[in-house]
Parts: sequence; structure tokens; C-alpha cells
Amino acid sequence: MAHQAHAYHMVDPSPWPLTGAVAALLMTSGLAIWMHFHTMTLMSLGLILLLLTMYQWWRDIIREGTFQGHHTPPVQKGLRYGMILFITSEVFFFLGFFWAFYHSSLAPTPELGGCWPPTGITTLNPFEVPLLNTAVLLASGVTVTWAHHSIMEGQRKQAIQSLTLTILLGFYFTALQAMEYYEAPFTIADGVYGSTFFVATGFHGLHVIIGSTFLAVCLLRQAQYHFTSDHHFGFEAAAWYWHFVDVVWLFLYISIYWWGS
Amino acid sequence: GRRHTAVQQMARRSICSSARRQVENKVPQKQKMFQEDNGMPIHLKGGSSDALLYRATMVLTVLGVGFTLYELVKASFPQKKD
Repeated sequence: MAHQAHAYHMVDPSPWPLTGAVAALLMTSGLAIWMHFHTMTLMSLGLILLLLTMYQWWRDIIREGTFQGHHTPPVQKGLRYGMILFITSEVFFFLGFFWAFYHSSLAPTPELGGCWPPTGITTLNPFEVPLLNTAVLLASGVTVTWAHHSIMEGQRKQAIQSLTLTILLGFYFTALQAMEYYEAPFTIADGVYGSTFFVATGFHGLHVIIGSTFLAVCLLRQAQYHFTSDHHFGFEAAAWYWHFVDVVWLFLYISIYWWGS
Repeated sequence: GRRHTAVQQMARRSICSSARRQVENKVPQKQKMFQEDNGMPIHLKGGSSDALLYRATMVLTVLGVGFTLYELVKASFPQKKD
């Protein structure tokens, strides 16, 4: 078998970029077809293809790293850069929605009553469920750090417990937020207040769900002995993502829930 | 006294061992399987279930492209309602 004379990873040819691209085609065309003709078949097919692609692509990365040893220090450095750049792109994504919020709320138009919150909008009390949500996410930031230290110290049981607690806190946040959405006295159709509120908090909620899923995968991997005390980048990436989700919430809470109420 | 503590210790130990089954560390087996020099690409190296899932995904991919083209062409020619 030929051996490489370098520490980098020459990946095997893979079908997943193609299937992922086709999934994107199906989801976007499917969205247009759904909007015009009310059928969800194409969009649903795209979603299934996306899930299949994600499962197999990430499964292969775990095989390449944990089972084949391809994630040498220079390769891991590249993965770190990649995750940081991805999170940075997500920061810019949210920045746009904050821009929209501040654009509308700093100079409220006469149509809104010249004030913020606009006339007729009953805002949520920032010191009720939103404050609990803030405490929940801050606590989950502590538990994920506890999990990291447990992994680094080789404490298997503690790592599993603290990671599980982090995920449960994430679920608790999602459940509380879902309840808030249901009970809210305003909807997404209630002018620019409704739009900025639900789009910004809605995308944040989606990221909480994504982050919780990433952490859950890490929990399964930790239980299956994939992580060692000095090599567990998958977990670190999940923890970085989770802290990012927490920070976005803090900005949402301060800007939309508190200042905007 | 000492006997009482021994009974307590035994009770604790038996509760602990029967409460959950241990997850076995299968990483060394997996490492051996995925490092075998059999020329298989990573997405098929895990065995027949890999091939099944791959085939299913590819079928959906090809059918999906066909279905998209059909729907888009259909949407490009508005149906006249009598």
C-alpha cells in the first residue's frame, strides 16, 4: 500500500457533494413549486436527500478521523479554521437581522405611530420567560465547559452527565420559546415589529435546535469512546457553536426583548 | 459497627452494577476494519449497509433531478382553465 510522505489528508472521491447540491436544487425549486401550486413533494424530497447527505458525509468524516487517523495536527488546524470561518459567516447572517431591527426601531415611521414599540403592539415582559431563557442558556454554557474539562481530564462519566445536562437545557429553552411563540399577543404579520421579532428569534431558535443536535451527536460519540483527552475536536466545534448561539441570544435579549419593549 | 458498614457497602455495589449495562469500546475493531487495505472508498468501507444507503441516496438524486426538470417545465407553460 502506498504511504503518503506528508501529514495532510487526501480525501477519497465522494458522492456527497453532488447529492448535497441536488438536495439544494430540489429544496429551492420545491419551495417555488410549493408557493405556486401548493404541493410539497419536491421540497420534501429535497429535505430527505439533505438529511441523507448530512448523515453519510459526517459519518465518513468520523471514519476518516477517529478510525483511520487522518486528522493529524495540521489537518485539525484546518478543521479549526473552517469552523471559525463558518461561525463568522453565521455572525454576519444574524448581523443583517439586527441591522433590520435597528433600522426600523431607531427611527419609527408615522405609520407605526412614530414610536417603538409601535402603537397597538403588546410586547412580552422581558423579566418573565425571556429572562428564564437567558438563565437557561447561560447555565448551558457553564455545563458545556464542565463537559469539556471532564473530557480533557479523562472523566468519562462526568463528561456524559454534563453533556447530557447541556442538551437538556437546550431542549428546555426550545420548549419555553415554543410556548412563548404560541402565547404571544402579536404575530409575524404584525408589521415590522412582528417581522423583526419572529425572523430574528426564529432563526436563533433554529440554531439552538441545530446546536442541540450537534451536541447530541457528540454525546453518542463520547459514549462510544471516540474522544480522547487530547483529541476531541468534534466536541470543541460543537461547544464553540453552542457559545455562539448563547451570545446571539444575549444580543437578542438586550436589543429586542429589553431595549425594544 | 463494622458489619453494618460492610452490608451497606455490598448493597451499594450490587445496585451500581445492575443499574446499567456498560457500553463496550468498539473503536479498536472499527479502526482495524477501516484501515484494511481493500481499496474500498470511505463511503462504502463499512459494508453492505453502506452500499444500500448509497444506492438509495443516488436513486433519490437521479429521480429528484428528473422530477425537478419536469415540474419546472410544467410550471413554465401555464395550464389554460376552460
